Amino acid sequence: MRTKILTVDDSKTVRIIVRKSFKNYDCEILEAANGVEGLALAAKAMPDLILLDVTMPVMDGVEMLSKLKADPQLKGIPVMMLTAEGGRDHVLKIAKIGVRDYIVKPFAEGVLIEKAGRIIQLAAHAEVSAKARLLTDPATILVVDDKPAIIQQIQDGLLHTSWTVLSVASQSEALTFCDKTPPELVIVSLSLPEESAFELFRHLRANTKTKNIPVFGLVVKTDSSTLQQAQTAGFTAVITKPIDAAELESRITRAMNLDTSERYYGIEEGCFIMKMPENCSLAILAEIATYLRPKLTEAVDAGYTKAIINVQSLKSLHMGVIKQLVQAMQLCKESGLNFVLVGNKQLMAECKGFEETRSWIFHETMDEAKASFSKAPQLASV
Amino acid sequence: MPTATQEISETLIRENINRAVCDVFKTMLHRPAKLAQASITGGVHDRQVGLREEDLANHPQVVGTVGFLGEINGLIYLYFDGAFAKHCTCEMLGMTPAELEAAGDEVINDAIGEITNMTVGSFKNGLNDHGFPCKLTIPSILRGRNFCIEPISDSQRFVYLFESEGQRFVADILLKCGE
Repeated sequence: MRTKILTVDDSKTVRIIVRKSFKNYDCEILEAANGVEGLALAAKAMPDLILLDVTMPVMDGVEMLSKLKADPQLKGIPVMMLTAEGGRDHVLKIAKIGVRDYIVKPFAEGVLIEKAGRIIQLAAHAEVSAKARLLTDPATILVVDDKPAIIQQIQDGLLHTSWTVLSVASQSEALTFCDKTPPELVIVSLSLPEESAFELFRHLRANTKTKNIPVFGLVVKTDSSTLQQAQTAGFTAVITKPIDAAELESRITRAMNLDTSERYYGIEEGCFIMKMPENCSLAILAEIATYLRPKLTEAVDAGYTKAIINVQSLKSLHMGVIKQLVQAMQLCKESGLNFVLVGNKQLMAECKGFEETRSWIFHETMDEAKASFSKAPQLASV
Repeated sequence: MPTATQEISETLIRENINRAVCDVFKTMLHRPAKLAQASITGGVHDRQVGLREEDLANHPQVVGTVGFLGEINGLIYLYFDGAFAKHCTCEMLGMTPAELEAAGDEVINDAIGEITNMTVGSFKNGLNDHGFPCKLTIPSILRGRNFCIEPISDSQRFVYLFESEGQRFVADILLKCGE
């Protein structure tokens, strides 16, 4: 459900500026020109936040605020004052009635977003509607560490990806960096002096611009108390040193919610390809399963009629893999796709040992599999 | 607590209006403003300089007014040349000149009214903090050419000419004396 913000101000200019300020966020902006209209709209729409001016005709902001707080239905709606009335006594008087924050005009749009973001959940349009990012999309990862060797390890480990790994050595440098160009992910060493990693984490979470950035902590495996502290604080993940590059990449992929389907699915020479990796852990099988139906539907929709299920790299067969393959073959059949299997010798031998896989026919190479489509159909039985 | 207009120094008025104008221009219009000249009429600071003659020429003017009432009473007028008022409106609302043209003068009036409201609000908050609490009135707009606004005899007048990237505009402050 979209966040509703009610702006109550007699100035159309201010209402336009408020609307403009929130244009990149998934918000519905409601407008009222005085306290009477504001109260009526608040009761009707039950907004998540009210931005309230003081000096207005008909009913001013102080009166509207008092009536709002006296109404059991409406008193829970958070109110933020947005007014040119900034004298100390005035602010104190209004604060006593009950407001969550107070912005004195003139105001920068960034300050309004920042303060509103502390009261309500603001989601950028991009987060709501954008397609999931692909593995091949560029992304910036910021490493905050004062140890060059660790930075180098991470850079080397992620060299084959499309991500750019940049580094800074301190909390203050990291904050400046994030404020200027928020990265897609931050990896911070938990052994930075004076708990500054935790301080950095708190700052990032308190800032609307950076609060949704995944933050990983880096800690020595044996330092269990720091590891626990980071988990309690809410770090997205904690990576232990020595760093396992494959694990780090997998965690980054998940944290950035990347579309990993291209690891397992693709189109090659007019064929829909499903490819299983060397090791199929439960997590990988779940990933494969997530994309199976949509990718297959997409291929059929695009006019493809041939599919190759390639398990050549797979090291061994287990029930999880068998279930996944059965499901894939079943879906191909239902979709009217002509499919064949490609496997290795060991796998073919293992298949003989299971009732479900005994009848499966494999090709030994992709070329052989592709060529088979021009011959008589060789459907594996499911 | 000071209670009379006479007790407010010209320095306090000047510093407050300078801070308020510069703050509003920087925050809302993303451009600097600089105090260029001052003219004071009445009271012990009397130092008259003809600052507004050129503005009273045949140029269309958009003038925003907001008053303040309390321990000190007065009015502030901000005089904008018509073209500059349009430019400020576009900048503040993120509109193109064509969009503003389509939206009409009402949008310009409202924007100049709000710039004045913010400026006078900031000026008044400064007075509050110096022991002169007061409240703002609702803004109003005066449009036209070849007009002048004259204070009544028992008021003190402070006229400040500002410059902002080649554009000039005037803040005209009228304070009621002897209360």
